Amino acid sequence: MEKVFEVKNLQFTYRKNQIKAVNGISFDVYKGEVFGLLGPSGAGKSTTQKILTKLFKDYQGEILYLGKDLKTYNNDYYEDLGVGFELPVHFSKLTGLENMKFFSQLYKNHRDIETLLKAVGLYEDRNRMVSDYSKGMKMRLNFVRAMLNDPKILFLDEVTNGLDPKNARIIKDLIRQFKEAGGTVFLSTHLMNDVEELCDRVAFIRGGEIVEIATPRELKIRFGKRELKVEYFNNGTTSEALFELDGIGENKAFLELINTYEVETMHSGETSLDDIFIKVTGEVGNV
Amino acid sequence: MSNFGLLMKGEMLRLIKYKIIQISFVVTILWLLIIFMIGSDQAATFVPIFIFTDAALMTVLLVGASLFYEKQENTLKTLMITPSGLHAIIASKVISAIYLALQSTVIIALFANLLFAVEIRFIALIAFVIVIAFAHTAIGYTFSLFAKDFNELIAQVGAYMIVFAIPTLFYALGVFSEVFETVLMFSPTHAALLMINYTFFSSTRLVLLLIGLAYLIVVPVLLFIYIIIPKYPETAVKD
Repeated sequence: MEKVFEVKNLQFTYRKNQIKAVNGISFDVYKGEVFGLLGPSGAGKSTTQKILTKLFKDYQGEILYLGKDLKTYNNDYYEDLGVGFELPVHFSKLTGLENMKFFSQLYKNHRDIETLLKAVGLYEDRNRMVSDYSKGMKMRLNFVRAMLNDPKILFLDEVTNGLDPKNARIIKDLIRQFKEAGGTVFLSTHLMNDVEELCDRVAFIRGGEIVEIATPRELKIRFGKRELKVEYFNNGTTSEALFELDGIGENKAFLELINTYEVETMHSGETSLDDIFIKVTGEVGNV
Repeated sequence: MSNFGLLMKGEMLRLIKYKIIQISFVVTILWLLIIFMIGSDQAATFVPIFIFTDAALMTVLLVGASLFYEKQENTLKTLMITPSGLHAIIASKVISAIYLALQSTVIIALFANLLFAVEIRFIALIAFVIVIAFAHTAIGYTFSLFAKDFNELIAQVGAYMIVFAIPTLFYALGVFSEVFETVLMFSPTHAALLMINYTFFSSTRLVLLLIGLAYLIVVPVLLFIYIIIPKYPETAVKD
């Protein structure tokens, strides 16, 4: 697979307080994947994203974009990028449509603004001032802003932050469509639901260091317990039993139970990404 | 600078939508009313002070507040991830600030000239107001980039007024003797008033005029090179 980004031993220190926000991280992002960077607040997610989007230039280590040093790219680099920030980034006294028209004309490539606004459910409100938008509407407009230039790579920071489940679903579907069309997504978040639904690979970052990097499935298997929990109906009550997953087909007690009792549920002991988040980063995430 | 024209168009739209042009126009109307009330005898004395106040002091306040507001709306950050380039972004904002200063200067100067026949070197006035607004845009930007919040910005602008603008106004009104003029030349506001006075045919020493002009070109250029351009991205990106 073609590498979009190759990040090697990346380090970044904030000049003002001399805090090392990113401490020697290395990872690759492949074309057409959704790569999730997960971690608690202050772990270095946003800093890493700002470095990759060339907002922070004073870093150590090496970043290759499509095989070429990121530092050698000029402002045309931004023609390839769509960036969805964590906070609204609009002129509040302009309408949603005026905002999008202004930003769109700064790029060579353009997506149809009205189609994008329709896709996120903002078309009817396109002529309202952004100051009259709710937080969720502003976040949806942020997503439209990121897509205006028909980017190859989307950088999304807490993209569903402040969205109700219905609108979060719309945005996640659009991200999936973007990926299916060959786009690459770099997603920073602490929302495990988004990760579970969207990410092909995830990296957990803690204290500026990557502590785990794998597919969500690999992580679930690695951190999960190889056991099977059976809930069954027994004399008017629900009982449960635990069995080792290895050799389950020859486990006499298990076979006897499922032949004797009415089974209500069966669950393998795979863990959730939320549990993994807590284990790996030592912090409680949001589900 | 390929997007410069588009950025300028966006800036003008912003000035209108945020009612900055309209507010500036209302302030200009107030100046016109005051000029009308003070009459033709005093107009030649006070019109330069009004133009100076608008082009220098109002510019510092307006530019500082405007940049601070943009910082709050995170629009500085989203502009930084367009192919526009930092220099084009800053240049568009500086020129829009100069436009505002020119708008009121031209209206006030024409009013004074047509109503009270106040004599004005028009071309010099426009050229000098561009230089003065450029310098004070740089000063306003510097304040705004260092201000942690709006109160701090107001405090900085207030301190600037007390240290630089008030002595200049006292000098203009004859409170300070001419002995102080050499010291006052280190004040950007004094240099600005001196230049505007020249355009109203006041007796101005050519040497001081040239020093003032050079000062108001060199100081902002240094501010842009060493403070504003390096610090702007850092401020823009801050969450």
